[in-house]
Amino acid sequence: MAERLEIGLKPDLPDPAGRGLMAKARAYLGLSIEKARVLRVLTLDAELSCEELEKARRDIFTNPVTEQSSFQPLAAQVLPDFDWALWVGLKPGVRDNEGATGLEAMRDVLCRGFGSEEAVYSSKLYLLKAPKLSLAAAQALCRELLANDIIQQWRVIPRGEWDPAAGVGIVIPKVRLAHTPSVATLPIPSDLELLSLSDQRHLFLNPADAPVIRAYFNDPRVRAQRERLGLGDPTDVELEYVSQARSDHCNHNTFNGRFRYLDLLSGERREVDNLFKRCIKDPTERLAAERDWVVSVLWDNAGVAALDGRNHYVITGETHNSPSNMEAYGGAITGIVGVYRDPMGTGLGSKLVAGMWGFCVGPRDYDGELRPALHPRRLLDGIIEGVRDGGNKSGIPTALGTLSFDRRYIGKCLVFVSAVGVMPALVGGLPSHEKTTSPGELVIMSGGRVGADGIHGVTASSAGYSESTPAGHVQIGDPYTQKKMHDFLLEARDAGLIRFITDNGGGGLSSSVGESARLSPGAEVDLQKVPLKYQGLDPWQIWVSESQERMTVAVAPEDEAAFMALSEKHDVESTVIGRFTGDGKLKLSYGDEVCAYVDVEFLEKGFPQWEFEAHWLPPEARGLAEPALTPPEDLGGLLLDLLDSPNLCSREWINRQYDHEVQGTSVIKPFAGRRQEVPSEAAVLKPVLESPAGLAMAQVVLFEYGDIDAYHMVTASVEEGLRRVTAVGGDPMQVGGVDNFCWPSVQYDPRENPDGRYKAAQLVRACWGLKDACEALGVPLLSGKDSMYVDGRLKGRHGLMQRVSGPPTMLFTATAPVHDLKRAQTLEPKLAGDLLYVLGRTRDELGGGALYNLLGQVGRNVPETSLDDSLALCLATARALERGLLASVCVPSRGGLGLALARMALAGELGLEADLELLPAPAGLKPLARLFSESTGRLVVSVDPAKAGELETLLAGIPHARVGRVLKEKRLRVTAQGRTVADLAISQLRKAFTKRFGGMV
Amino acid sequence: MSARALVLAGYGINCDFETAHALTLAGAEARRVHISQLTGAPGQPATETLEGYNILVFDGGFSWGDDHGAGVLLATRLGNHLRDQLRDFLGRGGLVMGICNGFQALVNLGLLPLLNGRWERSVALTANDCGNFQDRWVDLAVEPASPCVFTRGLKSLPLPVRHGEGKLVAEPTVLAEIEARGLTALRYAGPAGKPAKGRWPQNPNGSQNDIAGICDPSGRVFGLMPHPEGYYRLSQHPTWTLEREKARRKGRELDPEAPGRGLAIFANAVAAARGA
Repeated sequence: MAERLEIGLKPDLPDPAGRGLMAKARAYLGLSIEKARVLRVLTLDAELSCEELEKARRDIFTNPVTEQSSFQPLAAQVLPDFDWALWVGLKPGVRDNEGATGLEAMRDVLCRGFGSEEAVYSSKLYLLKAPKLSLAAAQALCRELLANDIIQQWRVIPRGEWDPAAGVGIVIPKVRLAHTPSVATLPIPSDLELLSLSDQRHLFLNPADAPVIRAYFNDPRVRAQRERLGLGDPTDVELEYVSQARSDHCNHNTFNGRFRYLDLLSGERREVDNLFKRCIKDPTERLAAERDWVVSVLWDNAGVAALDGRNHYVITGETHNSPSNMEAYGGAITGIVGVYRDPMGTGLGSKLVAGMWGFCVGPRDYDGELRPALHPRRLLDGIIEGVRDGGNKSGIPTALGTLSFDRRYIGKCLVFVSAVGVMPALVGGLPSHEKTTSPGELVIMSGGRVGADGIHGVTASSAGYSESTPAGHVQIGDPYTQKKMHDFLLEARDAGLIRFITDNGGGGLSSSVGESARLSPGAEVDLQKVPLKYQGLDPWQIWVSESQERMTVAVAPEDEAAFMALSEKHDVESTVIGRFTGDGKLKLSYGDEVCAYVDVEFLEKGFPQWEFEAHWLPPEARGLAEPALTPPEDLGGLLLDLLDSPNLCSREWINRQYDHEVQGTSVIKPFAGRRQEVPSEAAVLKPVLESPAGLAMAQVVLFEYGDIDAYHMVTASVEEGLRRVTAVGGDPMQVGGVDNFCWPSVQYDPRENPDGRYKAAQLVRACWGLKDACEALGVPLLSGKDSMYVDGRLKGRHGLMQRVSGPPTMLFTATAPVHDLKRAQTLEPKLAGDLLYVLGRTRDELGGGALYNLLGQVGRNVPETSLDDSLALCLATARALERGLLASVCVPSRGGLGLALARMALAGELGLEADLELLPAPAGLKPLARLFSESTGRLVVSVDPAKAGELETLLAGIPHARVGRVLKEKRLRVTAQGRTVADLAISQLRKAFTKRFGGMV
Repeated sequence: MSARALVLAGYGINCDFETAHALTLAGAEARRVHISQLTGAPGQPATETLEGYNILVFDGGFSWGDDHGAGVLLATRLGNHLRDQLRDFLGRGGLVMGICNGFQALVNLGLLPLLNGRWERSVALTANDCGNFQDRWVDLAVEPASPCVFTRGLKSLPLPVRHGEGKLVAEPTVLAEIEARGLTALRYAGPAGKPAKGRWPQNPNGSQNDIAGICDPSGRVFGLMPHPEGYYRLSQHPTWTLEREKARRKGRELDPEAPGRGLAIFANAVAAARGA
């Protein structure tokens, strides 16, 4: 019989969770709650004696100092005059981390085992004193604030209906699949029937793939081989497998596509056969061949580069947009915990040392008519919390991140998550970045168990969002289970027990085993051996489930015992589910029944390339022009408005929630300055404690430039990445890049996507920009991902549905080793009297910039990057840092020099004076442009007057000017044309910078 | 006598590498030991004991994911399997240090504040008043009258806090006794060393009496929420580049790898272990 244990803080202690709920209810929903108490509820669904129950309650689940608990309802003691009781629990099958650890603790403390049917379920009970709250408002609290219907269930009980003896009753969210697993055979007599099957099963097959799939299964040679095993038409396991592997998510069909580009104005035509190959792979291979620090790129789960002579760093970036858009917390925690498995599965496995984040969401105060899946404010809260728990509980420092608001992200939000690992160059004397599978090795699955969660993640994310998007792919990541697995796998690696390792992410086993089997080549797997969360899953579900926290490992048979012993030591479940073979076949069985038999190379060949029409119109032809502006009276006021704007104001509240210092590696934190409130240009960590080398990392998102020309958006992003890592002491000759593209669908459809050809042209131009920038700056792309279909179909007034496409977005991540921490530098001026220099040229480039954004304008003059000049600037800056000539280095980006000067003054708590007339700039450039132009290739530095001569010599050939100096007086004073155009106290800057989000914790 | 330190690892603990590194720099012979090695795991016997060690560190992390209260399940596991060994360890003068999650485990084990020699939970570390996890640097004032051997010779120091549950709560009588016996080894303070008086963010969690760390009456068991291993090295400090610049103007170059002020706590532990 199940028992319900309620645990709450003693009534005389304040309840921060309750207070948080009251504040959010007021701020978000305008609801007034007088008092709120939150109770933890554990439903113990196990056969326990009275003594055992009491021991568990007392010794495990109740803190005697702060808490009280009871197997009877606590409401009468905690908040006797409550008006509403709201109960929120998980739906069946959703990962319950707290329930799982609760059962684990009972096993240990009670010294007894539990049956597979016994479990602990966690939930929450909210008691509210809110006499004026209506039933509808109480329900809204649950729906809009406390629970997400996708993963949670809830009950609202008004005071009048409360049963003091039974309380909320007992809810047991156990999965009961009254189902005998079976394999279905699916005849596909025609392409049409295959496609209709695809629709029914949410396979999202591309119509062009249908004939290839049918041809394979109709091939007489294939049929004959299959018949010998009792197979005829394809099984559900096989068709699911094929659709996973062919999805845009796994196969990158868009990026591998053929683009027919046409400039509608000039009539120029260019055809690009495979964007990925031409613009990413080829340049990176060329660059890698010339650079011995590039260790491993373009094939593994993440890229590998040299940190120092003995250690490599490993980096990749991912997005987790679709699930986060529907269940923000679950999507984001699954995203960050998931991307952490990529470095774990790179080479023979690396230790995780850093995470980064990038969020793009609708305006926090959005009040438009279109209804997104979640309001941007709630969405953002959930995403922030998901990355917080995923990162912090993994024990991996969250080094830095970016947050961008734009109305177009209400269709689908973007959640970028990046991961950095390190590994010794050699493991057991062998290169750590190499691995393969060989016949005879065991296929072992380690980590979590498989459930029906996360099915069809890759196929669902290969489409836009709509109200009918299946929610089955939404999950809750479990950093605790994964952290144990991480520690275990590193120990196994160092003991030489791992021959091959890869993670189970999108596509689950079908992807990890399917891909690793291509190396040996061939594998046999018995799906019945895969440990399950609950019985009743069909073999195809086991094969494609994306249940989290799992790795697939190849282990030599002679190492099995040692591997399993280590696994037990770390309390990690590992199971032999098959073995690698050499016959080129992937053979899946369920017990004795063969359920799939396909050639491992089938998915690599013969499928048609996707094709796209790409139509470009240059910005002028699209009607873009510079806005007509007359000189403003108060440049300082504009600067304050920019500092307060949502995309430029303080994000301190986010990074403070993220542990950015765990592992003891911190050198440059996400914040700079005396008050630690200004975002740093880049983070620096010292990922190997015993090595003197640091690693600089920076992230850049400049999506607004794409409104003018995505080519310049991307060149500016790569260049800014280079400048940022250089500014903190990174080696500009060893910069690696990670490109994360998030694009709306580029497939033209006259009704569904009428501007698809333009979006395709934007993508082509973005890729050209990437190629040009990487080649000119010498930045190989260590890793990258694309996530298409950033589109939503949202309901507006009168039931009118509208398509909302996200702006084409690329997050660029740059990394560079800091060979000696003496070179590391931050952006705040250090001492009054120092000289202020601007390096690089300022041009009339306000287009797509923060100032125009503030004015509701786009403009025409997007910053055009001079790549060679930027590289020269960065090389000179690196030499200056090496010689200790620079006291601070700031990177002007959004908001131009104005924002850069303001950030420097804020961070340094020191005044600045700058004369804009002295800038390296075309004569006649107006003060407005001088202050807010976003021209790339510039740095602002402060310098000890005694070192100015040496610096100027070093800067020969680089445009630079001494524009002012650092003041003791706490004011930012800017002059132009012989008069003061802005004169602001630092306290004014601070007020503007912090007033929007400064009160958030 | 050499200082041999055992640093706990596994089950979600995550500060084991840098804590062992800091102890090594402070002169200890430090080993990371998985909890399963001490307590055994399902299917495996224990393979390691506290024998031969004189410093035991409960280092930071999210043991058992912080479920059911931070440090609770770690305390349950060790209390269940290691009670006698821990008693012997303390009996022979062993030093115990709990940092952040480790401090939370020590109060749940009842090893702190150990007022009357009985292991009982009389102090709790509960959710921060601000309602969220916080990573920020705080200034700490050291209680001069404290018997704590870990803070000997220190007056104040800055360290990072990184926790969601660090608010120290105790019954008034317990709190009074802790204060009366000088067991409040560390207090959150303003930059000038004056008590924070509960003001946020100097006191980052709302801890009673601004308490950041306490010791037992012997001074050999010590728990603190801030992370001394988060400042084992000069260049971990948030404004180290400013200090470096000031030094450069005087013709000196600060070594980014030079010891940070947090290392003094480990050095004190090593000195105390050697003296025992």
